[in-house]
Amino acid sequence: MKKYFMIFALGMMALSTAAFAATTAVNTNTVSPTLQISATIQKAVQLTLSTGTAAVTHCAVTPTGGTPDYTMNFGTVDALGINTGNCNKFNPAVPGTDNAIYWSDYNLTPVFTSHTAISGTNITAQVTTNFGVSNIFIVRDSANSSTVPAGAASFTAVSTGTPDTIAGPGVTSGTALTRFIGVAVTPANGATVGTGAQSATVTFTLTVQ
Amino acid sequence: MMKVRNHEDLRRTHLPVVKSGGKVCGASHGVSFSALVILAFILMAPARQAGAQTFSLSSAPGGITLTVGGGGNRYSGQFGTMNALGIGTPSAGVTVIPLSNGALYYTPYRLTVTGLAANHKAGVTGFVSTNFGHPAALIMQSCPSTSSCNSSAQFSAMSTIAGAPTTIVPAPGIGNSTVTAGLAIFLPDNNGATAFTGLDTARLSLTMTDLTNNQVVGTIEIRLNSPQGETVQDAVRLTLATASGGLTVTPSADFSMNFGNVNGLGFGPGAGLTTVAAAGGVIYSTPYVLQPTFTDFTSTTATIKTFVSTNFAHPAVLQLRDAAASAGPYTNIGTTAGTATQITNTAANRSSITRFLGLFVSNTNGATAFAGSDAATLTFTLTVP
Repeated sequence: MKKYFMIFALGMMALSTAAFAATTAVNTNTVSPTLQISATIQKAVQLTLSTGTAAVTHCAVTPTGGTPDYTMNFGTVDALGINTGNCNKFNPAVPGTDNAIYWSDYNLTPVFTSHTAISGTNITAQVTTNFGVSNIFIVRDSANSSTVPAGAASFTAVSTGTPDTIAGPGVTSGTALTRFIGVAVTPANGATVGTGAQSATVTFTLTVQ
Repeated sequence: MMKVRNHEDLRRTHLPVVKSGGKVCGASHGVSFSALVILAFILMAPARQAGAQTFSLSSAPGGITLTVGGGGNRYSGQFGTMNALGIGTPSAGVTVIPLSNGALYYTPYRLTVTGLAANHKAGVTGFVSTNFGHPAALIMQSCPSTSSCNSSAQFSAMSTIAGAPTTIVPAPGIGNSTVTAGLAIFLPDNNGATAFTGLDTARLSLTMTDLTNNQVVGTIEIRLNSPQGETVQDAVRLTLATASGGLTVTPSADFSMNFGNVNGLGFGPGAGLTTVAAAGGVIYSTPYVLQPTFTDFTSTTATIKTFVSTNFAHPAVLQLRDAAASAGPYTNIGTTAGTATQITNTAANRSSITRFLGLFVSNTNGATAFAGSDAATLTFTLTVP
């Protein structure tokens, strides 16, 4: 009996499939190693600007690839609306009293992913570096809409303090928004006014919430 | 230890005659004839052949057991179960060295010579007197006593020709002493028509020669057939490796790959990753290498499939995709064994197959969105038909 048991045992050993690490096996024709894949998903936000398509003419939004991120040039402007500028303008209702507005449309495209709360998402604008002279300032369309402004009264100065909400709450990821921005040139005179090339910086902020 | 005695009959017959010289003189043949006989034997006898010359084998420490039989000049043992990939633990006394084209199973053994006349040296040669029945699957190799016999480079194929044997103890030979040499069986990668699995045996013949007078000291046979012989098993292996420019594949239970921080916009892919546009999100892609190895199968090609055996906890946000090229197209990898994605059905033995693994990250927001860590497991299956 013991002899038969030994024979049986040897036979089973010879026939058995031996598996070692899951990467190798003998006495069989298949092996199945595993690969564990891990990743950490992060929330992501993106806000890009591009040249508008709504107004009659458009000042180009040019990405610099550096700092600042984009530039827009209104060209040569004046408080009486004599110069045509690079895109659109509203002449002062009363020259020498009211401002001339040189403006353009532009597009804002917010994109965000992996956010569970999005209903309060908005975009704000703020003048973070103002012009160095007092007779020019940044303006935006007061309506914060894609409707093309009808006149100079449709524009409001962009805040240099608390950011202005220009879209939302409730903007949609991936959907471009048309807005309007410009410069108002005042008829002021005096020591603080200036001429020549001037620049200011507006910071747009997308907040997903 | 058993010993082989040579010239034993010669000594039994004639040495007493030499020793009893006086009695010989008194024999009926007469003095002159006896003197001639004595002179002839003195001239014919090897110089200074003082005692019984023996040539024997024994098991070496760490080597296979060699059992003596056949009147003392036949030894038997076995290498046991082997495979050409060197997978697993070899039989007792056998050490395996996996090679790039097979596996070498080797064992040390001892050769002992005694009874040589002073200043005489003996050498040993050997050949495979009865080769394995499947010589494409099992190749007998030998390592000379002058080597440490613990690396594949020290072994070479053993002659199968009696007239051109392999040197085991080379000139100038050894005096009365014991030396260790090595025996090995090389199992080459062997797929196709010559593939073999099963039991096989071989016999070796070793001859010790007194190199001083070129006389054979003794011959020994080694039978690699006891208690069973050599059992060749087929074997398979599938490993994953890091591709050039790809994510690191870490060999841990069994392999792992970390895509690191990812997002639905494809910003800032980590080292080894590229992004590919995809509807509803982005794909982070990395190359990786599949290395199939198999031996002793009649088929020379194999199939590799993969499926997601453990899916991400957030399968709507993260998905694994497969592609043959970096730019795609990427297809979802099946999530069941039955829907496994076939990577290839023409995988060659010891080939390296570069494939691209894509991690799709959804750009979804809202209630189903997810941010944080997640993991999934892919199971790759190599099958040789």
